[in-house]
Amino acid sequence: MAVYKRGYQRYQGELTSRWTRFLTLPRFAWGRLLEQKMILIVLIASLFWPLCCVAFIYVSNHSELWAGLGGDLGDFLQIDGRFFRYFMDTQAVMAVILAALAGPGLIAPDLAHNGLPLYFSRPLSRLDYVLARLFTLVAMLALVTLFPAAILFAMQGGLAGLGWLANHWRLPFAVFTGFTLHIVLVSLVALACSAWVKWRTIAGALVVGFFFILAGAAEILNEVLNVNWGILFNPARSLYTVWSAMLGVDAGDGPSAWTCAIALLILSGLVCLVLEKKLRPVEVIS
Amino acid sequence: MPPVIELDNLRVRLGRREILKGLSCRLGVAGAGKAIGLLGPNGAGKSTLIQTLLGFHPLSGGGARVLGFDCRTQPREVKARIGYMPENESLIANVTAVSFLRLMGQLSGLPEEAALEKAHETLFHVGLGEARYRTLGTYSLGMKQMAKLAQAIIHGPELVILDEPTNGLDPAARRRMLTLIREMKEDHGMNVVLCSHLLRDVEEVCDEAVILKDGQIVHQADLEAERRSNRRFVELEVTGDDRHLGAALQGHGIETVREADGRWRMVLPPGVEIDLLWRVIASQDLRVHKLTHRRDTLEEIFLKAVGHLPAGSPAADEQPEEVATDGRL
Repeated sequence: MAVYKRGYQRYQGELTSRWTRFLTLPRFAWGRLLEQKMILIVLIASLFWPLCCVAFIYVSNHSELWAGLGGDLGDFLQIDGRFFRYFMDTQAVMAVILAALAGPGLIAPDLAHNGLPLYFSRPLSRLDYVLARLFTLVAMLALVTLFPAAILFAMQGGLAGLGWLANHWRLPFAVFTGFTLHIVLVSLVALACSAWVKWRTIAGALVVGFFFILAGAAEILNEVLNVNWGILFNPARSLYTVWSAMLGVDAGDGPSAWTCAIALLILSGLVCLVLEKKLRPVEVIS
Repeated sequence: MPPVIELDNLRVRLGRREILKGLSCRLGVAGAGKAIGLLGPNGAGKSTLIQTLLGFHPLSGGGARVLGFDCRTQPREVKARIGYMPENESLIANVTAVSFLRLMGQLSGLPEEAALEKAHETLFHVGLGEARYRTLGTYSLGMKQMAKLAQAIIHGPELVILDEPTNGLDPAARRRMLTLIREMKEDHGMNVVLCSHLLRDVEEVCDEAVILKDGQIVHQADLEAERRSNRRFVELEVTGDDRHLGAALQGHGIETVREADGRWRMVLPPGVEIDLLWRVIASQDLRVHKLTHRRDTLEEIFLKAVGHLPAGSPAADEQPEEVATDGRL
C-alpha cells in the first residue's frame, strides 16, 4: 500500500542493539561528509603521498632498476624509521587539514540548531554521542594515515620478506601507535573547536589555527626565555618527538619523549574538559 | 500497570538554586492513552521537571519513575519509551525531513528499513507529506513544529512529552496540532505530557493537570471530572416556537426552567452531553442565539492555585463560558 494511503501506526517491532544505534551517528555523518566536494578532494589528495611511498618501496626493493645509476643511491633508498617518519609527517599534515574540514561539521551544526536535546532524549548518553563523533572523525583520518601505513608495511613485508619485518619489528608498532595518538588528538581538538564555536568555518579555521598558534607561542617562549621546553606547548612538535623516539630516529633538542607524551595527555584532558562543558542538552544558567 | 509519572519528594538543584522542591505525585494512574497537562507560571519548574525525567539534570534528592522505570538508575529504559518534542527550535538543518526522521528513528532503535518507512508514514501523518524531501531549514515555523512532533512519535513511544507544542502556530495549525495530540492518546494509546502556557490547549486535550509554582505542586486537577460536572448548568437563548422544548428535554431527563421568551435554564444529568441538547434543539427547528454553561475554567483553577485569584472568588462563579452564539454549531 502506498505510504500516503496508510495511516500512522505505532512501531511494534524489534528494536536494534545499542551498538547498532551507536553506529547510526557515524554512518549518517560519513554520508553527509562525503557529499562535500572539498573533503573528497582532500581525501583523494591525501593518497598521493602514500602512492609515492609505494613507488619508493617498489623501487627500493628492485635494485635492478637503479643498479646502473651508481652513487650512494642504495643508502638513500632504505626503508627504515626515517622513511616512515617522512611518510608520517606528510600524512599528519593531511590529517589536520581533513580534520579541519570534517570536524566542525560534526558538532557545530547540532549546537547551532539546538539539536542536542533530540539526541539526548533518546537512549544515547553524552559519552555515546562524543564517542560516536570521535569515531566518525578517527575512522576518516585513519583512511589517510593507518590504512596507507598498513599497505606500505604489507608491501614492504611482501617484497623484502619476513626477515625485514623481523629486523624492523618496532616500526609497525611505532607507526600505528604514533598515528593513533595523532588522529585521536587531532579529532579531539577538531571536536572541541566544533563545540566551542558554533560556526563551521570559524571552527575549521580554529582547528588549523590551534596547531599554528601553539607552535608560534612555543617558539616565542623558547626564544624569550632561552629554554627548549617551550615545545611542550606545541602539540605537533611534541608528537614529532614521541614519534621519533618510537621510530628510533633523532628528534633534535628538547624535552624527552615521555615528557612530551605527558604534555599531550594533559592537552587531551583539557580538550575533553571543553567537550564535557559544552556538550549539554540544555544550558543551565545558575 | 505503573503510573506514567511517579514523583517521590523529587528535588533538583541547578547550581546553587533549588528548582524543584520536593515534588510528590502519581500521574496517569488511569491507564494508557491519557494526557497530563503541566502548568505553571514562568520559572515554576515545568521545563526542569520534564528535563529531569529525560535525564538532562541529576536528581539532588528523592526519586522519579517514568512508566515504572527509575530515572536515576534506568535512564536508558526511560528514554527508550519516551518521545520528546522540545520547546525551542531544535532540528538538524540542511537535511531533508525524511533523512532527519530516519536518523531519529534509528537512534531510537528502529531498524534501517523500518525507520525509513516510518519516516514517510509519520510525515504524512503530521501533514508534511508533500514537503518531506525539502530541507528543514526551508520550513516555516509551523512546519518545524510539526517536524518536531514527527520526530517525537516516529518510534511509537509509550509516553510523548510535548513542551509548548502550539508555540508560534496560526489558529488552523494549532487546531491541527491539538487534533494530532488527541489522536495520539485516543487512537494510538500513547500517554501525553503537555507543557503549555495556553490553558485552553491543556483544557482541550488533557485528562488531568498539575500546576506548579516555585518548584512545588500547588494543585492537581482531574479535568475529565471537572468537565463532566461543569457541563450540568446550561443557559440557553433561542428564537422560534419553543413551547415543546421543555417537554422534549425532560424526556431525556434534563431539568428545565423557562425564564422568559426563548430564555431557558437547565441542569444536565450525568451522562448527558451538550451534543444531545443540540440535537433536541435542531429537532424543534429552533435557532440558537446563545448557549452558555457556567464553568470553573482551568484558567480560574490556575489563577486560584498560583494565588492570583482567591479561592471561592465570585468571579469564578459568575462569569460564564461561552460555548456558541448566533445559532452556529
